[in-house]
Amino acid sequence: MNRAILITPLIVLIAICLFFLIFILLGKNPNNPPSALLNKNLPDFSSINLYNNQETLLSDSLEGNYTLINFFASWCTPCRAEHHLFFEIQKEIPELFILGFSHKDDLGDSKKYLEEEGNPYSFVGIDSDGKIAFDFGVFGLPETFITNKNGEIIFKHTGPLTKKIIKDEIAILF
Amino acid sequence: MKLQFFFKIFFFLFFSFSLCANENLDYKVKKLTLELRCMTCQNQSVYDSDSNYSKDIKIFVIKKFKEGLNEKEIKKILTERYGEYILFKPYFNSKNLFLWLFPFILVILSIIILLKNSKKTRTK
Repeated sequence: MNRAILITPLIVLIAICLFFLIFILLGKNPNNPPSALLNKNLPDFSSINLYNNQETLLSDSLEGNYTLINFFASWCTPCRAEHHLFFEIQKEIPELFILGFSHKDDLGDSKKYLEEEGNPYSFVGIDSDGKIAFDFGVFGLPETFITNKNGEIIFKHTGPLTKKIIKDEIAILF
Repeated sequence: MKLQFFFKIFFFLFFSFSLCANENLDYKVKKLTLELRCMTCQNQSVYDSDSNYSKDIKIFVIKKFKEGLNEKEIKKILTERYGEYILFKPYFNSKNLFLWLFPFILVILSIIILLKNSKKTRTK
């Protein structure tokens, strides 16, 4: 009986600690930390078209549309793995504006990559110095964002997209 | 002769100051980047990592210090983009209050329990 009285507070304390530890760590993946920009307006940017250096896209012009923003590079192997899925997204959600950013890549290599894999993007912007990616908080390719009609970021994924992610997390946004 | 002496003193002071300024900058960059998490590595600071991401952050930090921003301002810019996850030491604010106070709550609770138990055992 005496022993039980002594041990009970200790057990309660451990239980409280475990509860809070589980509460803090639940659903948190250190490889995919939550974006600081989620539910915030997309950062201001201006980017030149990969295929036409006279054409520039401004972040303001994206408002009024749902936009998928994908950072890719020809040297990024996981980008190739997800690339074909953008054609599926394009087919399933035709109203979605798909914006690709060639990130820290040789422009010739980016064009070659899009020739080989196909070009699912409505606009391919250049981000040679990585400044746009920095403003988006990108730290590893590929990264994908979706913005709503108000220009707010409503989805972010680090790493290659999968069919499951598209079905469970992207399709439900529309 | 006097002019030569004057130039010698001038160059000595000029290089000493620039050396000190560089050392000061290196120290500030090291101090800050040691507090920043390399987001693409396993538990490594930006300072210790050679990844492309860390190199970019180091360049950014040096640039911002040279522009005259202080540590707090640079941290703010980085957390606005990468979230507080980039900081090894989270901010002491209402959101993280529990995280900061929990160890102290735990110690106080333990002391209370210990005192209560020792009192009980003494009275018996």
